[in-house]
Amino acid sequence: MVWSFVGAGRTVSWAGLVPADNKGSAMEQRIVSPGRLSRHRRVMSVGIGVLAVAWGGPGLFGPAVSPARAADVEPDLQDIADRAHEQLLLGERFPSATTCAACHPKHYREWSVSQHAYAQMSPIFNAMHGRILQLTNGTNGDFCIRCHTPVGMILKEPEFMSNIDRHPTSREGVTCIVCHRVNKAYGKISGRLAIVEGDLTQTIYGPSGDNTALDDAIADVGLVTDPNRGGLQVHGRIDKFFQITTSAQCGTCHDVTLVNGFRLEEAFSEFKSSPASRKGISCQDCHMGMDPGRILAERSDPEFDRKNYDFGPAATVRGYDTPARKLTNHMFVGPDYSVLTPALFPLHRLIKEESEKDDVSADGYTIREWLRFKWKAGWGTDDFEDKVPDDYIDTAWDESDTDRPAQYRWQEPWDSPDDRYDAREVIQENLVLLKDMEQQRLRLLQNGYKLSDVVTERADPGGIRFRVQVSSGTDGHNVPTGFDAERLVWLFVQVMDADGTVVMQSGDLDPNGDLRDLHSLYVHNHELPLDSQLFSLQSRFVVRMVRGGEREQVLAVNYSPSPLPFLRPERRSSVLLGRPGGARKHKQGIEPNGHRWAQYSVKKKQMTGPGPYRAVIQLKAAMVPVNLINEIRRVGFDYNLSARDVAQVLVHGHVIDTGDEFQRVIWNPDSELPADNQVVGHQVLWEREVIFDVTGDE
Amino acid sequence: MNNGTRGLAAATLLAVAAPAVGEPPQDGEHTSRISDEPAPRIKPEDIPSRPSLLLELGNPFLGSGPIDPGFELPGGAVAQPSLWVFGTYRSAVQVFNQGRDTPNLSEWANRLDLFANLQLSGTERVLFGIRPLDEDGTFSGYQFSPDGTDGSVDGFNFDVTTLFFEGDIGEMIPDADPKDFASLDWGISVGRQPLFYQEGMLIDEDIIDAVGITRNTLLPAGGSDLQLTFVYGWGRISRNNNVELSGQSLFGFFSAWDFPRTTINADVVYVHDGNGNTDGVFFGLSGVQRIGHFNTSFRVLGSHATERETAAVSDGYLLFTELSWTPPWTENHAYVNAYWGIEDFSSAARGEASGGPLGRVGIMFAAVGLGRYGAPLGNRPNDSVGGAIGHQWFFDDTRKQFIVELGSRYSTSSQGLTAVALGGRYQQAMGRHWVLQLDAFGSLVHDGDEGYGARAEIRYEF
Repeated sequence: MVWSFVGAGRTVSWAGLVPADNKGSAMEQRIVSPGRLSRHRRVMSVGIGVLAVAWGGPGLFGPAVSPARAADVEPDLQDIADRAHEQLLLGERFPSATTCAACHPKHYREWSVSQHAYAQMSPIFNAMHGRILQLTNGTNGDFCIRCHTPVGMILKEPEFMSNIDRHPTSREGVTCIVCHRVNKAYGKISGRLAIVEGDLTQTIYGPSGDNTALDDAIADVGLVTDPNRGGLQVHGRIDKFFQITTSAQCGTCHDVTLVNGFRLEEAFSEFKSSPASRKGISCQDCHMGMDPGRILAERSDPEFDRKNYDFGPAATVRGYDTPARKLTNHMFVGPDYSVLTPALFPLHRLIKEESEKDDVSADGYTIREWLRFKWKAGWGTDDFEDKVPDDYIDTAWDESDTDRPAQYRWQEPWDSPDDRYDAREVIQENLVLLKDMEQQRLRLLQNGYKLSDVVTERADPGGIRFRVQVSSGTDGHNVPTGFDAERLVWLFVQVMDADGTVVMQSGDLDPNGDLRDLHSLYVHNHELPLDSQLFSLQSRFVVRMVRGGEREQVLAVNYSPSPLPFLRPERRSSVLLGRPGGARKHKQGIEPNGHRWAQYSVKKKQMTGPGPYRAVIQLKAAMVPVNLINEIRRVGFDYNLSARDVAQVLVHGHVIDTGDEFQRVIWNPDSELPADNQVVGHQVLWEREVIFDVTGDE
Repeated sequence: MNNGTRGLAAATLLAVAAPAVGEPPQDGEHTSRISDEPAPRIKPEDIPSRPSLLLELGNPFLGSGPIDPGFELPGGAVAQPSLWVFGTYRSAVQVFNQGRDTPNLSEWANRLDLFANLQLSGTERVLFGIRPLDEDGTFSGYQFSPDGTDGSVDGFNFDVTTLFFEGDIGEMIPDADPKDFASLDWGISVGRQPLFYQEGMLIDEDIIDAVGITRNTLLPAGGSDLQLTFVYGWGRISRNNNVELSGQSLFGFFSAWDFPRTTINADVVYVHDGNGNTDGVFFGLSGVQRIGHFNTSFRVLGSHATERETAAVSDGYLLFTELSWTPPWTENHAYVNAYWGIEDFSSAARGEASGGPLGRVGIMFAAVGLGRYGAPLGNRPNDSVGGAIGHQWFFDDTRKQFIVELGSRYSTSSQGLTAVALGGRYQQAMGRHWVLQLDAFGSLVHDGDEGYGARAEIRYEF
């Protein structure tokens, strides 16, 4: 029984994944690049596949497993079989973005590096969500994560778990179907919208509802719209869903109000009050056009679409291009950036599931395998592979396992140079994509923020006083907007004497990488002084303490009035009060087309060096502060990352190492590892230099 | 107060204030540094699962699973009706004596706040609420003292305390602006509902029949956010003396402004008495901000009886300030609050169980909202100055907390209350629904007996 079960398990696992391919449905939609599969694995795939079918499993796998051990592994195999079967069925209900990629490679490429694709993959989000669940006694439920992985929540996956073990479409976060399988205008619903389930051949929803190009493609290419027929499948129909062209579509998720009335994010509400709205400019016009955060023509221009949007085929399948039309950019450029290894993000098609680990027909490697791929060490590059010594030890190998022969110092699958080269190819592609995204992000932020006037009010031996104007570059919403309580935009200012000695600075970072504001642990603990001249546009969560007013907190969970924060619908009118009783957000962003002045002064006693003095002024931006990482680290980070790992990438590239152990930040700014350039953490948006022609020692 | 009293107050003040400066841990390490060690990832089963509500029909409340697509209404809105029943049950045994020759009150008291939330869409809902165990300040349970009043207490009722609809006009009729370029997102709330403005000092009304309209997320020049609200109330309006009067109308205009360094609330209210002569005009102005390491707020409120002064409305001002901070190396909370009541400030509306406006000064100035356990130092500001200094400690990752507070008030008139009180509160979460709360205080009253009180409360959230 056991033997046959083991075989059956393997058979189910194999058969459970192959039929989709055989039927020409989902699996065929995945772009299988023969060049991606190593020769070694291609041969093995065919060989083992034939053997598995011929022997029904037991013949191949059975003899290697003793009955006793088979009993041990039985649950795992059953689990693998169940999961494989489940995933097959789920793929039919919720098509993965990888299936869409077959015909929409441009859209997929853009989306794969987007924050929508990153929404659930983010270890910061995952830990933050887990910590909030912990602090709210579980009452926050799926509130946060419903937006980040709508599919995962429909599938009733646990609210908190490792992404590694989530369903692949769940991991895709805001994937294609989250927008294109919605057919009702739900309005401001904080992401709790219903997704229309169905396999790939079912109707999708788009801006025009014009089926002409689709029908032509079906006829010309021989696409299949019957889920039971073999061949390359395609959605049988496109229905018009008008809302997808409007800002309200974005507002379904980008206007987040908690059930207790807490207005967490107000991007859409801000837009509704903005000049852009009155001019008829939509979210899509600025954020899905060619220039992120900016329109390239007046909205009233009859050629607006032609000037603002890219044009080209919406689909490319088997060499057939659909007629050119307006194309929207699905990169959704925003202030976030990935802290993950480029082996995992941007999302790519060479990730397979644990249930497929031993399935040689499945392409790619599992996430756990990818996490062991030491791309920073140069694996898969000629430089490394040509010089790798015979006794090279994969440090992931457990050296205490002395029973293992020396030749297994490499763990599978990275024992094969071919596989390492295949993986490196993915890494290289992703690095290029991340670099592209970095440039786009910088462009977006530069469009959103301007470093305007610098006015010197006083510059004499008695002191220096000057003002710096920071302006909004958009008329569509506040800057920052959205999750503005964790967005960092600030001025870094240094005033130096003629010798280059810094006599005053503001906007510098503490050794953790935080600004010296109230959230800095060093400032809180009085180890560093508060940056009294700090100019920051970060909004603040404030909670109403049991007595004593409101205090800032990194997370807006208020545990002061009661040790059991318990989230339920607000008992008062949240409309009239605009907030729940216990917490709110103090918004500090710049209104559309508005500006702020930052004030700086250098006191006489600081002017000890020779003049003239020089001020370097930088407007900087970052995704989230390090203190958030510290706050949420208690639940641990996904992919086995430490808080330091996350913080390193978060603030990468923007540190001056003073050489002082105490002052040194936690990451190594002098690292020359190629890996350290995959993303940029803090970005300098604008820089200005001002000379104060004054001698300080007079 | 005699010298002994002053000595006790000073000693307590030091005891409360000393921990508020904080000390570094004695491990000799810089713990400000973020941890280099990977934190072991908590297993999914170790994260508390979502506690279910008493009743959930339709889409579960923040529960995973498929979401009902709902149906489209005339006007284009999509309705996804869901009914969620939730609330809080509180039960306490307590003894209270405010001093000044007042009788000893001891009792077992109960309160149940029960709500049914009919969620219609993302922004529209109807909230229905009852408090079946208490009515007009009478809480079901048993009174042990004073003699003559002992025996069971029946506060059972099924009066509707809350029944209102709220929503967003733009979301209710999206077809009116299909491209979503117009600013139709005006919030509206109509029905029987609580109102709460200026931390309850201007209005703290738990039951009022009113309609309000709000424009939120306005973006003023130089500011980051502005909310404007107009409220008209026509029924169930209780005045400053917590007594409901008929024929009252309330007109309120409220604004909340977020500026880069402060949040300003500026509110004005007019109450018209159609049956008498207790018309009044009221205002509140506040600034809430952080200054250096300190959280601060400053409020000034005023009231004016436009016809004649009564218990319902009177002339006066209330100045109130809060100062608090988080001591270094801790997440704890230290606070110092103070007020000054000039003449007889009166609130525009105060519910029957809301007491006076000083509750935010300190726990020694607040009733617990259950039974006859009142405010040790009273909560009416009339011709008095006072304040409180307190410290809140958090333990066990915030699931336990302890507050010690020293409060005092001094009457600037000949008849008011002058007293000092020292009290403490311990709260502990137990499991996923229960909270244990223990309170105690002792007070010294000028020209009167000492006051004291103690209570144990169990609270169940569902």
